[in-house]
Amino acid sequence: MLRLLAATTLAMGLLAAPVLAQDAKDTLTIDLPNDAATLDPHLQWDTDSYTIYRNIFDNLVTRDAAGEIVPQIATKWSYENDTTLDFDIRDDVTFHDGSKLTADDVAFSINRIIDPALKSPQFSQFSPIDKAEAVSPTKVRITTKSPYPAMLAQLVKLSIVPKAYLEKVGDQGFNAKPVGSGPYKLVDHQQGVRTDLEANADYWRGKPPFAHVTFRAVPDVSTRIADLKTGQADLVRDVPPDQAISLKDDPSVQILSVATERVGYMYMNAQSGPTKDARVRQAIAYAIDQQGLIDALLQGYGKPVNIIGAPPVFGYTDAVEGYAYDPDKARELVKEAGAEGAKIEFLTSPSYNRALVEALQQMINDAGLDTEITSTDQATFLKRRQGDPANAGSVAIGRWSCACQDADGIIYPLFRTGSTWAKYSNPDFDAAVDAARSTLDEAERLKDYKTAYEILRTDVPGIGLYQDFAVYGANPHLTWQPTPNESMFVMDMAWKN
Amino acid sequence: MLGYALWRLLQAAISVFGVITIVFVVMHFSGDPTLLLVPQGASAEQIETLRHQLGFDQPVWVQYLAYLGGLLQGDFGQSVVQRAPAFGIVLSRLPYTIELAIGALIVAIGVGLPVGMLMATYRGTALERALAAVVLTGQSVPTFLSGILLIMVFAVQLHWLPTSGVGDVRFLVMPSIALGALSMSTFARMTRIAMVDELGKDYVRAALARGLSMRAVVLRHVLRNSAIPVITIAALEIGNLLAGAVIVETVFAWPGIGQLAIQSIQSRDFLVVQVIVLLISFIYVATSVAADFAYAAIDPRIRLAR
Repeated sequence: MLRLLAATTLAMGLLAAPVLAQDAKDTLTIDLPNDAATLDPHLQWDTDSYTIYRNIFDNLVTRDAAGEIVPQIATKWSYENDTTLDFDIRDDVTFHDGSKLTADDVAFSINRIIDPALKSPQFSQFSPIDKAEAVSPTKVRITTKSPYPAMLAQLVKLSIVPKAYLEKVGDQGFNAKPVGSGPYKLVDHQQGVRTDLEANADYWRGKPPFAHVTFRAVPDVSTRIADLKTGQADLVRDVPPDQAISLKDDPSVQILSVATERVGYMYMNAQSGPTKDARVRQAIAYAIDQQGLIDALLQGYGKPVNIIGAPPVFGYTDAVEGYAYDPDKARELVKEAGAEGAKIEFLTSPSYNRALVEALQQMINDAGLDTEITSTDQATFLKRRQGDPANAGSVAIGRWSCACQDADGIIYPLFRTGSTWAKYSNPDFDAAVDAARSTLDEAERLKDYKTAYEILRTDVPGIGLYQDFAVYGANPHLTWQPTPNESMFVMDMAWKN
Repeated sequence: MLGYALWRLLQAAISVFGVITIVFVVMHFSGDPTLLLVPQGASAEQIETLRHQLGFDQPVWVQYLAYLGGLLQGDFGQSVVQRAPAFGIVLSRLPYTIELAIGALIVAIGVGLPVGMLMATYRGTALERALAAVVLTGQSVPTFLSGILLIMVFAVQLHWLPTSGVGDVRFLVMPSIALGALSMSTFARMTRIAMVDELGKDYVRAALARGLSMRAVVLRHVLRNSAIPVITIAALEIGNLLAGAVIVETVFAWPGIGQLAIQSIQSRDFLVVQVIVLLISFIYVATSVAADFAYAAIDPRIRLAR
């Protein structure tokens, strides 16, 4: 038995050796905290997975560097009426197996996700769609149940899968050997270890920049950074700010960063505990020194915000005033509410920046409250945070992004009555966000969101803390402009000449 | 002998059953994977829909019975995260764990045994004190620290070894040292204690009085007689090395079952966790049974007693 194991070990070593010997210039290596859960693009919704599979698949539409929604597989689109959206589809795209991409594949991809039988976690993003149908080989018609203004923003996330191939091999077979039309083809996927891709030489948008791309699963951030320093990895994401600062002087690494659509925020329970009193919530809002947090803990990788939203988001407004840092006023409000020494339960999990949590705890305590941090694992945290208001703690922080750059994806799920995140209910707010969700008129929507943000300012069921930056560590020879929606398309990267 | 073996197997089966039941119940009461799977903006209704589709809205005992029913038919269920059979997922990680355990065991025994022997033989000398420092270091430096230190020195500064991941034998060196260090200390201490014990016995004095060299006495008699407690430790350590590599696997991006266990617990991928628990229980049982046989092979008195 032992000899067999030793032989297996040796064989594994020998098999892996040629991969290492490959010319580094030919291969881009990206370290991610986790491997893709699945390479079937419709079966999960997590950052590591889509970072990988979006290089294998094309999207219906995408965003350009300025954040505008631009064509990819669709060449143009138009609304037939408020609930019918027509897309013209390119006729020069082929999948990696040589078959042609048609409107049928696009319609199939949408209908597959909204079919309950697939149990797709992405269902919620596409559920307003009633159906998609191919009206000709180059035309797709999407019908929504009611007017859905964030439709295009959601379709940015739609990966197109080949209908014929998928029906032939089945869901399991497709997950094991996915075929897309994107710039890279899957060569090998060692679950939990690495995903190896090679360039699709016939890619319709031109020759991909690297012959090979490898994604490795490296769970520990210190190890990812060590990989970067030794050249074992060329790109890592989510570099902690303190590490980013110390790496800035390291010639073997470059730090790339961008202000994103993601917003750091603090939720306050308006339905239970001491924060049920609006004055206590206002006091907490006044007690927080945004700039102080950004300078000391985020090392400048963040920008102050006035609302729970950031400029890359549709619906963002600078016309609503934020809460300025005013500790005296905070103490006054706490006194006025008779809440001195009241217990504030601060829910958190290891997924959130502990230093930030403790700094906020200190600031809230300075206002005369008594904050206690409850840290659990993420599953337990979400169960409480999204559960019964009485058990959802008093405050918690988060970093919100819908990857759709639309306020509908932020304040609707956070504060609309009936949402699992909302520990708050105000019919006026509900009316505003409902109205903004049911019209395609952009001016009308902007007005509704301004109203909604004004209501949130008064009621403070939560406040914005900072606009989040995406911070990447990269090989100094890599050129790449990170985007506000935190996507990592290898097609946009290149080696410097 | 057969009756004894069957009794041991039954005991093992009962404890494995207990373990999977406890893990099942604890995991299910601390939340389900639905909230971790959906995008942040999913509505309450959509979350409920997915929860229902995945079957997590059923009472825990219904889910438990369904799980046991599947288990009896050899069906370990599907991973909700990876949408693939849980058993296959765990099995694909097992070779990495075994590879690392062997590497660590080589470090542990290859260093631990000689160090323990030297410490026993040169008791009270400067050599013993120097080796005691090595043992203490191996025992007290936590692996998350020693792992990062190894990476910083041998990969980042000296460029001798790759920082992380799997591949040829160079990838195995640092994780094996980091994981094997604690076991090395255990082996060294146990070997030392067992040998010191033996060295104080009458037969050693008699052998030395007969004019045998210390070297000959140690190699011919003392080692064999000190082996029993060391084998017991070896069996326990193999179990530990196979099951306890979570931190080392995380630091070195080593894709074994320890890393998979942590990720599956965090993502509440229940059925993958269950397979891992079953596997680890099995490993512990198998190694302790193997140790029993090893005793018998080395010490004839144990054979006679049965």
